[in-house]
Amino acid sequence: MTGALKGIRVLDFTHVLAGPYATRILGDLGADVVKVVSEKRPGNTPDSTYYRMWNRNKRSLSLDMSTERGREIARALAERADIVIENFSPGVLDRWGIGYDVVSKGNTGVIYIQMSGMGDGGPWGDFVSFAATVHALAGLTYLTGVPGREDIGIGNSFNDHQAGLHAVTIMLAAIEYRRTSGKGQRVDLAQYEVGVALTGTALLDYFANGNVQKPVGNRHQHEVVAPHDTYPCLGDDRWVAITVMTEVQWQNFCTAIGRSEWTGDPRFATALARVEHLEELNNCIADWTMKLDAYDVQELLQNAGVPAGVVQTGKDLLQRDPQLSHSGFFRKTIDAGAYNEATPFERIPLQFSRTPVEEYRAPRAVGADNAEILGEWLEMAEQDIQLEEQIGTLR
Amino acid sequence: MESSRTEGILQTIRVLDLADERAIYGSKLIADLGADVIRVEPPDGDRLRLRGPFASDNDGEEHSLYYAYYGSNRRSVTIDLGNARERETLRQLALSSDVVIDTGTLASADIDVFDLLEAKPELVIVLVTSFGSSGPWAEYLTSDLVAGALGGFVATTGDVDTQPLKAYGELNFTTTGLYAAIGSLTALRHARETGEGQVVELAVHEAVPSCLEHVLMWGWFHNDLPMAKDDVLARRGSLHWSDMYEVMDASDGSIMITTTPDPMKQLAWLVEMGVEQDLLDPKYGDPEQHRMMVMRMMEVLRDWVAQQNVEDLFFEAQERHFPYGWILSPDRVAQSPQLEARDWWMNYQLGAHIVRGPGAPYLLEEKPIRKESSVSEVGADTREVLEKIGWVER
Repeated sequence: MTGALKGIRVLDFTHVLAGPYATRILGDLGADVVKVVSEKRPGNTPDSTYYRMWNRNKRSLSLDMSTERGREIARALAERADIVIENFSPGVLDRWGIGYDVVSKGNTGVIYIQMSGMGDGGPWGDFVSFAATVHALAGLTYLTGVPGREDIGIGNSFNDHQAGLHAVTIMLAAIEYRRTSGKGQRVDLAQYEVGVALTGTALLDYFANGNVQKPVGNRHQHEVVAPHDTYPCLGDDRWVAITVMTEVQWQNFCTAIGRSEWTGDPRFATALARVEHLEELNNCIADWTMKLDAYDVQELLQNAGVPAGVVQTGKDLLQRDPQLSHSGFFRKTIDAGAYNEATPFERIPLQFSRTPVEEYRAPRAVGADNAEILGEWLEMAEQDIQLEEQIGTLR
Repeated sequence: MESSRTEGILQTIRVLDLADERAIYGSKLIADLGADVIRVEPPDGDRLRLRGPFASDNDGEEHSLYYAYYGSNRRSVTIDLGNARERETLRQLALSSDVVIDTGTLASADIDVFDLLEAKPELVIVLVTSFGSSGPWAEYLTSDLVAGALGGFVATTGDVDTQPLKAYGELNFTTTGLYAAIGSLTALRHARETGEGQVVELAVHEAVPSCLEHVLMWGWFHNDLPMAKDDVLARRGSLHWSDMYEVMDASDGSIMITTTPDPMKQLAWLVEMGVEQDLLDPKYGDPEQHRMMVMRMMEVLRDWVAQQNVEDLFFEAQERHFPYGWILSPDRVAQSPQLEARDWWMNYQLGAHIVRGPGAPYLLEEKPIRKESSVSEVGADTREVLEKIGWVER
């Protein structure tokens, strides 16, 4: 691997989305990510389409952690890792004999990050969670919706991505700290606390003012602005988002849609007035948009200096979006890995002038890199690796 | 104000924060980890200080809670970009930093990033744009809602009977901020190892579709997904793409119910309660009919959940290791026994007034994250900072 994180060794025990998303980023950036999997743990293997999405740029090591030798090898690897990362419930790695206290004795610089659902300890510490659970408990489901509907919530496992991004941030910060102090550390990242942090201003509003925020649809949470919503357009379920953030933009908007008289209309003359007459305003705008193609509305308004954009589906992103096409955002892996053909993917959104991310490798078959990893990390001889294979450690 | 120079694991770095709402979450995370972050504001103050919600302190002064959360723990320096000398001061500030996070201020000040790199080769500059520095939409304007719409997030959120929706707050900008922090610290690591700085570009429009879970999977692999009917999955309220998670109404509140990770275990619970309806019909036992069984189980669960007390059901489910989630409003979140037990909250200073607020999204063993957060007055640190870089009078 090349890249800015070249030389960083990551021992990766993660599964599902939050953890694998974090280590996918580390792999993209050039770290040597060794993903520990097992044919005895189905679901966390390349035959899952979901796995295929989140496990590029990692090498695959198969280890049967139910065996003594499997756990010994895991411990030896952990002692040579810069980063050990997992997203099990608390206690799993301890039971495998590779808890932080054990690993850090032989590897004082290790950055050991645990991404459990609820964090280590506390009355909910053993609760099980997926992103939808965290969205619920953190207030994100309650706050994402339209007035009177506290049951809609976010339509994808957003908090898993957020947990992954926060994990990468703190790992990189810990690398900088280790550079000057020589010290590694344990990081306890609760996916729940990541979710709660995302509602930070609502919590401050509650503690400072006693105000319990409610879902507000598409209204802006922090500024008095209008229009700020999604509007129906021509076609089946096609919509455009229009957001007028300043008075200059309001004048531009009215001119662009041929309703200059609205700037002098007392119902719409100021942002405050527009918010007070929101339903009327939104109906007027929808009357205009529904006769038009969403991309035409976007172009007309953007050319007039008004932030507007089509509500794009995944298919639009992949097939229609000229900006993502221009920037080469969607690509195919340079190899086939565990599959019969290259894997399509979206590249990392960071573009480095000196350490560009150019190589993207497909997820690997279970244990495809066993010999290479054990040779490089543990200096194991070929015949010893073969022996481990024979006695069933590497599966 | 001393708080921006308290200890933390990033106390060894200095960051020039030129981020607007699109990336401010990134500089916030770095500031909260103890970096010396200098935030540049116009002489009349950062417009983000005018963002709500607000709170009055005991003296009747209004404080932005948005800014208390996103703009805290920095030093504040004012720069008038209309003044050539002050633009030069900005350049000097950039050159005295390890990392610059910028959403367009450098260009407004006619400062070329590659000139900066030439003057200081180890400098890291993260440039955040809405759509990219070139391309057909490069000049387009964005907001969090527009970013979420064009980036594919908004199409996933909302129900069949509502318009497409944004999430709470500005979560597309949160994602962008996180990538800005990751870009900063990644390039910093490379600079520490090699002495080589660089420019890192990041577009909001690319950050958003990096966090869409199933959406791109649907586009590429729908033929491999038994639940996919075609290449797009329309928004459908709380029902997850897997069909196995949905918010249901209990007798006195709502709760996210899921049959994961093991529908058979869920079935056993329903049988134990005697509310399984027809789920034991042999037609559901056929592995080929597993999806039909799960869909039916969600219906049966809906009937059963409607009769339950939400709190009791949630704790009973978790006791049995089912990842149900009680839908909690912010006041309930504020009373979470889990957050209390983990000593999660921190104090936010609003003038002379202190309020409780959100803690850090990770707990650290070494150099724990500060428990007090405060906002500098506009320009409070201008003189001190400029003196330090040898730029005393303007």
